[in-house]
Amino acid sequence: MTQRSGLGQEATSVPVAAASAVVGAGTRQIFLPNEVDPTVFDEAFLRQLERLLLLMRSPVRGGLKGGRRSVKRGQSVEFADYRDYSMGDDLRQLDWNVYARLEKLFVKLFIEEEDVTITLLVDASASMASGHPQKLLFAKRAAAALGYIGLASEDRIAVSALSGRIARRRAAMRGSGRIFRLLADLSAIAVADGPTDLVAAARHAAAQLHGRGVVVLLSDLLDPAADRVIRELAATGSELIILHILSPDELDPAFEGDLRLVDSETGERVDITADLATIDAYRERLTAWKAGFADLAAKRRASYVDLSSDVNLADLMFSQLRRRRVLG
Amino acid sequence: MPFATPLALLGLLFIPAVIAMYLLKLRRDEAVVPSTLLWTRLVSDVEANAPWQKLRRSLLLLLQLLLVIVLALLAARPFVERPAGLAQDIVLVVDTSASMGASDVVPDRLTAAKAAAIEALKGLPTGGKVSVIAADRSARIVVNESSDLGRIRDAIEGIAVTASRGDLGDALELASKLAARSGDAQVLVATDAALASTVTARVGAPVKVLPVGRDRKNQAIVALAVRPGPSGVTRSVFISIANLDLERASRRIELWGDDRLLEVRDVTLEPQARADVIIDDVPEGTHAVEVRLVARDPAATGAPDQLAVDDRAWAVIPPSRTRLILVVGDGDPYLETALSYLPNVELYGVKASEYGPATERTDGRPWDLIIFEGTLPATLPRAPTLAIAPPRTSALGVVTGTLKNPGIGSLAPDEPVLRYVDLSTTHIAEASRLALPDWARTIIPGPKGAPLLYSGLRDGIPTAVLAFEPRQSDLPLQVAFPILLANLTGELLGGSSAPTEAVEPGTPVDLVIPAGAISLTVTHPDGTVTDLVPSTVGGSTVTFAGTAEPGIYTITPVRDPSASAAPSGSAGAAASPVASPAVSPAASGSPGASAMPGLVGAGDDPFAPVRFAVDLFDVDESTIAPGSAAAIEALGTTTAASPAPGSVGAGTPAERPMSREELWVPIVLLVLVALSVEWALYHRDGLIRLQRALRSRLGRDAAGPSPGGAG
Repeated sequence: MTQRSGLGQEATSVPVAAASAVVGAGTRQIFLPNEVDPTVFDEAFLRQLERLLLLMRSPVRGGLKGGRRSVKRGQSVEFADYRDYSMGDDLRQLDWNVYARLEKLFVKLFIEEEDVTITLLVDASASMASGHPQKLLFAKRAAAALGYIGLASEDRIAVSALSGRIARRRAAMRGSGRIFRLLADLSAIAVADGPTDLVAAARHAAAQLHGRGVVVLLSDLLDPAADRVIRELAATGSELIILHILSPDELDPAFEGDLRLVDSETGERVDITADLATIDAYRERLTAWKAGFADLAAKRRASYVDLSSDVNLADLMFSQLRRRRVLG
Repeated sequence: MPFATPLALLGLLFIPAVIAMYLLKLRRDEAVVPSTLLWTRLVSDVEANAPWQKLRRSLLLLLQLLLVIVLALLAARPFVERPAGLAQDIVLVVDTSASMGASDVVPDRLTAAKAAAIEALKGLPTGGKVSVIAADRSARIVVNESSDLGRIRDAIEGIAVTASRGDLGDALELASKLAARSGDAQVLVATDAALASTVTARVGAPVKVLPVGRDRKNQAIVALAVRPGPSGVTRSVFISIANLDLERASRRIELWGDDRLLEVRDVTLEPQARADVIIDDVPEGTHAVEVRLVARDPAATGAPDQLAVDDRAWAVIPPSRTRLILVVGDGDPYLETALSYLPNVELYGVKASEYGPATERTDGRPWDLIIFEGTLPATLPRAPTLAIAPPRTSALGVVTGTLKNPGIGSLAPDEPVLRYVDLSTTHIAEASRLALPDWARTIIPGPKGAPLLYSGLRDGIPTAVLAFEPRQSDLPLQVAFPILLANLTGELLGGSSAPTEAVEPGTPVDLVIPAGAISLTVTHPDGTVTDLVPSTVGGSTVTFAGTAEPGIYTITPVRDPSASAAPSGSAGAAASPVASPAVSPAASGSPGASAMPGLVGAGDDPFAPVRFAVDLFDVDESTIAPGSAAAIEALGTTTAASPAPGSVGAGTPAERPMSREELWVPIVLLVLVALSVEWALYHRDGLIRLQRALRSRLGRDAAGPSPGGAG
């Protein structure tokens, strides 16, 4: 694949395997920078990323959905349309076949390619620290995988952590050689102390966006105003992808008897009698709650994917996200 | 409500303990969750829409409290008291005679009587005792003074109907004796009151009858006899049938000989009448005949009458065998004429002077009977002997003088030799005065203890002595003479060691063990076998009491393994069990009949099986019309029994004791229901999960195996 800068100059394709220690088959050494948390991005995870790399060696057109095409017409390798010749146009763009037929001069128009910024918003609220497997860990790994795909596609990748009332954004990066920096940035995301106002943090993140790109929100949406988060992010004009991550314990709680549930963020207490009827009612409510997000996302032309934190990463990337057309 | 153990109500103190444990259980365990967002919304919805949640918890507490209360009540043993319907001690008499087998009450009267008795015993006061008597041929105590109602019930259920005449009087006498032991007793009688004989016994306690039975539809075989036919070759069967109903009856008679159907006759019987049927030409060689009274229409369903036990009868046909009788004397025409009337008899005569070794038979067959008339040889023969008017003392007896015009003493009514013999008008002019020997019994007593006729076993040889010559009396001119002679010669000739007449059901019979045998086996009509061993070693007779079932019984001697070959037919110490031709003219047997030993004739096999028949030929017992319960109740006292010491004085009725019924059964049921409900509530979730799993599995099974397998 090739990529053009905003000046319309071709750039040489950068092999996605260059300058990376995770290339190739057979024996290799994994070099982990100090910033990468080995508990998050361990050897097994990195091998999963290799699979993504190998699969991406096959021609992939388009990369992340909706992230590449520009509405502008410019000079590139992809023909788009004709216009009348004007004095000063590049004669190399004249279509002589059309002239032979119509004895009129027309210039070919090509699609203008622009680089896309993919912003990975990782919810770092206290609720993300729970679950088996931990939701935040899963979010980091999913973000790493998506970021790696973007880097391999020469997109800009920016990581932002939502905690408290703000979004802590790291500098954007481009190129597949930046994978370890991406991993380091993700490793550095820590769970927030105290409650998180997801709406405020999302609003802050939205304000940090430049231009239209892709925003991937990785969150459990366990906020009373989570629907406003979606609205805020969708209003930025960027393409919004919501990965709604919940742990298996939250999807199918195994409670029994009389319990007092304590909120990990707010400390709020709720007394329940966990019998079959209560568990069934919880599941129904959960399903309706997620359906509400799905409807809202559809209305805002966003993509919504509900996930369990125990989903296999490769299955997530190559099956679920492709099935939902998040990945092409 | 009164309680037997009121202290057990202290168990109610567990109620606070249950409540305390319930309150402790309300402490909740804490669980940290990522967010209570969904739970908060859920709890508010659940509490608003499902009051069942709170109700379920309260219901469990209420059930547990209820269980504590109920268990405390159960331990306290509440009861209700009411006056008992019965006296403190009960003597229950159950009629088991043949008429109780009538099927006018389904399945039969005895079953209904037992059910009525068990039901009546429910009114027994607390601590009351029950004795149970089964009344058939003789009274039999089944249970004696028991308060274990379960055991009493089992004993009553185990009583079975018999095929014999019942003796309710004997049972009531026994009941009266048992009731006399108690100061407050009552006699219950479960019966159809169709009594074969009038009951006159008095009972010293109130009698209450539990009546059963309602109909009287019955026809019965009341007599059956087999006699030689006129030709002397074949036999004729004499059958008498009675209709004991008030309506005409049409029945069919089937005559079977040795399990072959010989003849069928249809009879119509007027109400309360008898019909006699004679069937000739029973084939030679038939050992036993059976008569069946069946429905005239073979296609008819159901029993033709209501009592089946009297619809079948059996008779044994003794094998024909010529008896050789030798009369030694000058000849008495009356005697010889009477002897010539005996069937299967060859009569020979010699003068006294000619009697001796020359008169011994040379054909190998000894004399079956030798009659010495007015004479005695120097050496008595080793053969059954009848001595008439012996002139001198001998081994047959001591002659002490002469009797002139001796009177006849009181005759024993059950003496078999005197059956059907009427000597009330017999006069004797002269007779020898004899002393009764030790080996004999008096048959006809004379004046001052001097016997006029005696019989017995002299050194194992059947011997009889008649003290007078027949022509010295008017006996030969009377019907009694040939009958007496037939009976006497029948005994001396050894009729059979088995009964020749039909035996009443339940009557014990004496059976002779032949020489060379150590025991007998008796095969019952139903095929079961009983071994009979004499009570003393070497005993010659044994009593068999198992004649409850009507039918043919077969007696087979068991050889002594150490004995020599069977004797050639000489009279031995013990007689052969082979049946001899019975001479008795009557068809019905007399009560208490027992067989007497007989002789082994030449050619007879002493170890050959012999048979006898048991039949219910009893018109009174076959009359199944229920009798008067009031007549039986009138045999008891009209008031309560004499008061026990210390109780109410004479003249005032004793207070009826109270019966206490504990209420544990409904309480236990309540406990079980409460436990089941509590279990269902507590495990409701588990039950629902199980139900869902089953539905899921059934749904998968209905859908069939999933596609894609190997390959």
